Amino acid sequence: MPESLSFGIDPITAHAWNKDRTKLAISPNSPEVHIYHFQRGEWKLEEILKEHDLKVTGIDWAPNTNRIVTCSADRNAYVWTQSEEKKWKPTLVLLRINRAATCVRWSPLENKFAVGSGARLISVCYFEKENDWWVSKHIKKPIRSTVTCLDWHPNDVLLAAGSTDFKVRVFSAYIKEIEDRPVSTSWGSKMPLGLMMAEFSNSTNGAGGWVHSVNFSSSGDRIAWVGHDSSISVADASKGMAVSVIRTDFLPFLACLWVSENRLIAAGHGCCPMLFEVNETGKVQFAGKLDASLKKESSGVSAMKKFQSLDRQARTETNDTSLGTLHQNAITSVCLHTGNKANATKFSTAGVDGLLAIWDFNNLESAMRGLKFN
Amino acid sequence: MSATLRPYLSAVRSTLEAAMCLENFSSQVVERHNKPEVEVRTSKELLLNPVVISRNEKEKVLIEASINSVRISISIKQADEIEKILCHKFMRFMMMRAENFVVLRRKPVEGYDISFLITNFHTEAMYKHKLVDFVIHFMEEIDKEISEMKLAVNARARVCAEEFLKRF
Repeated sequence: MPESLSFGIDPITAHAWNKDRTKLAISPNSPEVHIYHFQRGEWKLEEILKEHDLKVTGIDWAPNTNRIVTCSADRNAYVWTQSEEKKWKPTLVLLRINRAATCVRWSPLENKFAVGSGARLISVCYFEKENDWWVSKHIKKPIRSTVTCLDWHPNDVLLAAGSTDFKVRVFSAYIKEIEDRPVSTSWGSKMPLGLMMAEFSNSTNGAGGWVHSVNFSSSGDRIAWVGHDSSISVADASKGMAVSVIRTDFLPFLACLWVSENRLIAAGHGCCPMLFEVNETGKVQFAGKLDASLKKESSGVSAMKKFQSLDRQARTETNDTSLGTLHQNAITSVCLHTGNKANATKFSTAGVDGLLAIWDFNNLESAMRGLKFN
Repeated sequence: MSATLRPYLSAVRSTLEAAMCLENFSSQVVERHNKPEVEVRTSKELLLNPVVISRNEKEKVLIEASINSVRISISIKQADEIEKILCHKFMRFMMMRAENFVVLRRKPVEGYDISFLITNFHTEAMYKHKLVDFVIHFMEEIDKEISEMKLAVNARARVCAEEFLKRF
């Protein structure tokens, strides 16, 4: 059974863990960020970070440097560092955007971070020591609509972005002031800032749906994304940018995460995390539902009532209010908990129902005996 | 007649379940704004294709969805003059109180009798499957209510006419 923590009735817009998973930063659909600390067997509210004016849309916690970056619909982002008295102090970031920020991600080496926004651009921000603030460089072309999701390549230079213009693009976010020239990867060899290394359309025939989440695999060769047409796609740069797509019967996914080089988790409006596998030929296949909780049977449901509900309202299930899954409303984000993208053992999901659940693969493995796990 | 009701309602139900997959979206046209995109309609890429589900010529449902909102417009069966008047008055009664209704739109979309506007804020606060149940239940009950009202009007008219003609 996955461990679940309830944070009230407000949706959890974003969540992030610290390095040893003893602290959790969440935003309960408001301009505040709550920091929880695991002490003596329970989660206690440690601090509330109040600096934003409008809803916080993204949180990321850099594990090694212990800094939190938050971005919000008020066009601002702040980098929070912990002072000696253990209080979190914000530093303003000059994003120079004129629309809401939608998502934020620290780079793997934590020397820079990227913010996607409704201004149709990505701000890549780095620390400028002379003036003691964070400055940004913009990636604009050829993004034509709001950037909804971001993910960094392990080489700290390439950045994948999904947008509501139905495309997934891989850009170079090389900042020459703070790093050396990167070595060539399967995505290309020349990487000046803002160069689009690859562009994938969510569908070959027409639009295909907004891209909700994008994720690089641990090697950086593969990129997975989920779209609003309930599809999940994987592109492999080492196989000449070959794309494998499957359209599922489920409701659209909102988040995806690689848990090994061949397996990924996707979760979304169906309220249940799903496991997908990429086989040797590079094709994506559905591997199973990870929510094994049984549908609750309400006692004393008569045959007459069942027939009436079927006849009058075309309703085939009799259970009224609660869904058969752990999450009672859409899952909005999935984060790694234990392990890394090459080999994850636990991951966490947060949803619109105010619930945060931690799923353990070892328990799930015994629950789903039919599937093989390598 | 009622043989078409169940497939009609199940088609509407499955379309609504898919259309109500909404998420928060800040306006990309005006800063600091967060408005239902299906009403604003400035960014075409954020709108989904509208779907019309018809039971017959008179009864249909138009579902227009976008990234953060859904507009559901219902055309109610109105067989004769009395039903037209009753329907119009009933819908007007509800639409004047649209604020208390939460998901109702103050004016119906052109060509329809009543419209609902459901945004991501509603799906965050309420269960999505219950919202779908509500719309389906509404569609089902409206026809019954109007028939009942028509019967009541006819019965009342008969009583009034009888009383009046007793004098002669």
